[in-house]
Amino acid sequence: MKRLRADLHIHTVLSACAGLSMSPRRVVDEARRAGLALIAVADHNAAANGPYVREIARGEPRVLLGMELQSQEEVEILALFEDADSCLTLEAEVYRDLPDVNCDPELFGDQVVVDEQDNIVRRVEKLLLSPVPWPLARLVKRVEDLHGWTLPAHVDRVPGGLLAVLGLLPEGTWPEAAELSPWVRQAEAVSRWPELAKLPLLRSSDAHFPHEIGRSWSELTVAEPSLAELRAAAEGRGGRRLRAGPHCKEGR
Amino acid sequence: MTVAEVVERLELEALAAGELKATVAGGYCSDLLSDVLAHAQSGDMWITHQRHMNVVAVAKLKEVAAVILVRGAAPSAEMTGRARSEGVTILRSSASAFQVAGRLYQLLEG
Repeated sequence: MKRLRADLHIHTVLSACAGLSMSPRRVVDEARRAGLALIAVADHNAAANGPYVREIARGEPRVLLGMELQSQEEVEILALFEDADSCLTLEAEVYRDLPDVNCDPELFGDQVVVDEQDNIVRRVEKLLLSPVPWPLARLVKRVEDLHGWTLPAHVDRVPGGLLAVLGLLPEGTWPEAAELSPWVRQAEAVSRWPELAKLPLLRSSDAHFPHEIGRSWSELTVAEPSLAELRAAAEGRGGRRLRAGPHCKEGR
Repeated sequence: MTVAEVVERLELEALAAGELKATVAGGYCSDLLSDVLAHAQSGDMWITHQRHMNVVAVAKLKEVAAVILVRGAAPSAEMTGRARSEGVTILRSSASAFQVAGRLYQLLEG
């Protein structure tokens, strides 16, 4: 069993609100600098830069494919996948259903797919910051059907945090874990939202700019850095552990 | 003024009818359920676009007089079913939140 750091919420230049310098190559460089063993690429309602990040990283760090999906209720969740095709399948389904509102780069920033050589492959037309017109439960179910894992992103935060938007955890078995926003103290979040005490908590950087990668992280005690091990750690199976790292003290 | 009178005056559709004789004390307009939990008052008409199941739980907890879904939002059968079993009134308007809130304000304060 190894103890390692994971940052499971990193944006790239495919997110309009992220810096143009967040190319797949730069993301990998910064993740190595931050000593991360496992990362996930999670752009807004999109995944296309993830495979390039994985290709460049060659296992150092291990890379999960992912998306930060925004539901009809405007709740944001992380969807994490080991399998790239499953993630890209969901990306295509979600893109088809996004509203026909195009991204004006002057207003929102660029949404570009960039390859392992830092070349622009394509620009994404529709604004990825629009919510996907699917109820939260449908998004969660679709991710599960594709063997991915979902958890609420920055659960405490307005906008987009599950508890801020929906006030209470939904009924049922979801979520199995939750991500804290980088700046909130864990004790503060749990005291404001006592239901969080029941859940394993992660923390990630939600990085939009290179220096933000690894500014906050989760600590995993696992056999190897993978999605299956992450899920086992969330369940506390076989001595595996998942723990939110300390809150970020700067750069809010 | 009662919920039933507001339904008639604002031409609302009742998707789940709880206590229609309840008195309407005021109104609150928000799509953030944490904000509703923190600030809505008992007896308010809660005007919202949200149609997640948690709307029923929050409406019940805050003892709002009714929920008004705006712009013709279609809730799931699961949500209206739960509202009925919890005695929570869910109403609907084809008008926007701005129009519904304006007309309700006129009725209550005008």
